[in-house]
Amino acid sequence: MEWYDALGLLLGSILVLMAIGMPVALAFLAANVIGAWVFMGGWAGITQMLNNGFGAVTSFALVPIPLFLLMGELFFHTGLGNRMFSAIDKLLGRVPGRLSYVTVIGGTGFSTLSGSSMGSTALLGSLMVPEMIKRGYKKHMSIGPIMGTGGLAIIIPPSALAVLLATLARIDVGALLLAGVIPGLILAGLYILLIWFQVKIDPEAAPAYEVTPMSLAEKLTLVLRDVIPMLSVMVLTVAGMIGGVFTPSEAAAFGALGVLVLAVIYRGLSWASLKNSVHGALKVTLMAYLIVFGSATFSQLLAFSGASRGLINWATGFELAPLMMLLVMFGVLLMLGMFMEQISIMLLTVPIFFPLIQTLGFDPVWFGLVMLLALEISFTTPPFGLLLFVMKGVAPPGTTMRDIYMAAFPYIGCSLVLVGILIAFPELALWLPGR
Amino acid sequence: EDTLSAVHAFPETLIYTKSFLEFVDKVNERGEGVVRIDVRGGPEAIGMFQQPDAVRNGVVDMVYTPGSFYAGTVPEKDALVASNIPAAMARENGGIELFDQIHQEKMGVKYLGWFDSGVCYNLWTRNEPQLDADGNLDVSGLKLRGNAVYNAFFTEYLGAQVIDLPTTDVYSALERGVVDATGWTQIGLIDLKWNEFLNYRIEPCFFSTDLGVIVNLDKWNSLSDESRQILQEVAIEHEASSTEALMSKRDDDFAALDEQGMKVVTLEGQAAADYLAAAREKTWGRMRGLMEEHPAGAGNYDALIERFYDPAADAQ
Amino acid sequence: MEILRRIYLGIVPLMAIVAGAMLIWLMVSIVVSVTMRNLGMQPYAWLFTSSEYALLYMTMLGAPWLVREKGHVHIELLTSALPPRLQRGVSRFVAVLCVLVCVILAWSGAELFLSNIERQDYDVRAYFTPKWILTIAFPVSFTLMALEFARFVHGDDLLHSGEAGLHE
Ligand code: NA
Ligand code: NA
Repeated sequence: MEWYDALGLLLGSILVLMAIGMPVALAFLAANVIGAWVFMGGWAGITQMLNNGFGAVTSFALVPIPLFLLMGELFFHTGLGNRMFSAIDKLLGRVPGRLSYVTVIGGTGFSTLSGSSMGSTALLGSLMVPEMIKRGYKKHMSIGPIMGTGGLAIIIPPSALAVLLATLARIDVGALLLAGVIPGLILAGLYILLIWFQVKIDPEAAPAYEVTPMSLAEKLTLVLRDVIPMLSVMVLTVAGMIGGVFTPSEAAAFGALGVLVLAVIYRGLSWASLKNSVHGALKVTLMAYLIVFGSATFSQLLAFSGASRGLINWATGFELAPLMMLLVMFGVLLMLGMFMEQISIMLLTVPIFFPLIQTLGFDPVWFGLVMLLALEISFTTPPFGLLLFVMKGVAPPGTTMRDIYMAAFPYIGCSLVLVGILIAFPELALWLPGR
Repeated sequence: EDTLSAVHAFPETLIYTKSFLEFVDKVNERGEGVVRIDVRGGPEAIGMFQQPDAVRNGVVDMVYTPGSFYAGTVPEKDALVASNIPAAMARENGGIELFDQIHQEKMGVKYLGWFDSGVCYNLWTRNEPQLDADGNLDVSGLKLRGNAVYNAFFTEYLGAQVIDLPTTDVYSALERGVVDATGWTQIGLIDLKWNEFLNYRIEPCFFSTDLGVIVNLDKWNSLSDESRQILQEVAIEHEASSTEALMSKRDDDFAALDEQGMKVVTLEGQAAADYLAAAREKTWGRMRGLMEEHPAGAGNYDALIERFYDPAADAQ
Repeated sequence: MEILRRIYLGIVPLMAIVAGAMLIWLMVSIVVSVTMRNLGMQPYAWLFTSSEYALLYMTMLGAPWLVREKGHVHIELLTSALPPRLQRGVSRFVAVLCVLVCVILAWSGAELFLSNIERQDYDVRAYFTPKWILTIAFPVSFTLMALEFARFVHGDDLLHSGEAGLHE
């Protein structure tokens, strides 16, 4: 079978199944059954798929998702989240769309340092979306910034994915990590610009209710009582990671523990709030894990059947000018990113792209960063960006996939603008690592 | 023409994978029109820990993987882990033939060849390692990264505090001080960039790599005699040539590390002998225990040790 | 028959409660092992291994309950444009497909489980764990998922809302 037939069969079956409304996880499993039968030798291939799923799900790298979810749900159900956001709301006064900005700043800080895109989207989504909707924000004003900043986890250090990419591509790890700092901050800045613009053209998107003026003493009390204790849980989680007390995967457990302790102190912990938190965290975790279970094998089938390798070789087989070639590679990364999982994409493309990029005369560290940006975007591209599903799980009832797709698009646009900026001014990436 | 599909456990850019791909090229060249290996990819095509099952069940025909990834099925792989001789010697004395026979019986795969042998493991530390009055390594206070292969030695003999981590997490764990020491092969530290944090190498080295090519037995038996002969011949040649290539790569790596200021601490005399003996015997002990649990028993235990361990080699 | 039905109806949420306990266990096991490590003690290796296994049991034990709760995400962008009668038909057809996939996986999971016993396979991490203890989760989970999806094939309740993606 030619690579395009394999690609057509695999992508065709999953797209059709999803279009008729099959649950995403089941659509993956069904496409895998077909793919395993065709490419992995019938029944043995289907058993192999269960083995693969077993490997994918029992990986410690997935641990942050349920625990950050638990942390966010606990914040929400114990009333601690409400306390903190009411306080921030009052403190920021009348800035339109203020909680959206808070999300970008908080999300940038937290997701970059936690290093887990899915985990931090889970946390911020379960924590902020319900609060913001309660306060009258339109959905895209809360969902968008959270998914946007979720992707920053892999651009700004520390980033496990960047370390893995540097190792695979044999480029300087330190240089690639440093290269991400300025572009990452620029991206966060673009998000802020985007929010300002969204509020400007649609003032209704963020509530403009009056806030009663407060004295300095009142403000100070609010900060000390409602903001600092909650923030300190996140800060301690991050500090413990940086200080080497625990690994990023372990940090989430301490975050959840911290919120529990805080809830006891603030008398917000009840049997019902605990039960509801576990219930909420479990539901989203199960939904996401079953998708991971199915999509892990789907990625592998694309690789094993030769479909993705064929696509890469075909796309890079043309004689093109360096800049066009770069755009082609970026396009291939985006295309694979819609259907495959990040690590598989790196394993597949690095051995082909990096030698090519060097003959074209681009800096490999710079290209490493562009590649991370493509992977960052792929977290939120329809139809299968994993952050979209995590967000779907944590968003309140009545939020449709369409809402989520629409909220994600402008943020994908920001990332594309950044890629354009980096092509025009490579120094933005290369200045810090001194290359 | 016979065609075999193949996958490899590690990413394409890793030195061990390149060695396997060299083997594939040699087979495809010499076997033109007779036999061809069609490489489908690495862990992105089939997860690295699922590959042994895949070749056993015939999902793929050939896999290049460490024996440690299927230790539950063939615990005899510890004979290679504790070995101190290169593959060419084990091929000559019938060790690999015995190993192949065990693979066929217990796992239904043909053990085609033991590649990239002759490479051993060192302990690498961030801070200067401490020795006690008798010259033994003192590991108290060391935060040592471990895994299923090392731990019998690290915890039971050295009494170290071990933190189990997957290879991909070690860089950031070293960076943040979650661990400050790890075992690793003589080669590859630079590729993983762990040398940014590690400053000492402890000699002598222990253990051996256990990377090999296994082929689904039904597939193997279905090949033409000529195909089988070519595959086996090239594998035997590659057993020897891959060792040579890696020895020179090791010398290059050591020279590069030297230049960056990597210091070497060497255990001497009895301390070194005890250290090596413990690494070996803890591993053999584990192998014996698991062999005894299996219906096939530990009948091959002595034969394996005799063929994969040469007491004279340690004395040098 | 009625008793059997009630037992069945009760088993699924019971499994979900176990899955919830696994989630809590994740937190507890990590907190304990990190604390031990930072106090200079050797954390029990089973703490780490058990948390990885907890991920599997949590996913498989909770999956049938999630079907009942309609918690698996699906997309109704296109189907919501169909006339209502056709929508109901498509919804039942999708449920049939889901049952089919789950039956295939339950069957293959049962085969995997039996071959793990027969071959005495181990999962090798810090310990040698007999693999069947883990893979038994597959036939159990997929069988129950098939039964749960089957309820949407013939019952009054539909898998899909039909309301322009309202309860996707
Ligand atoms: Na980060
Ligand atoms: Na983004």
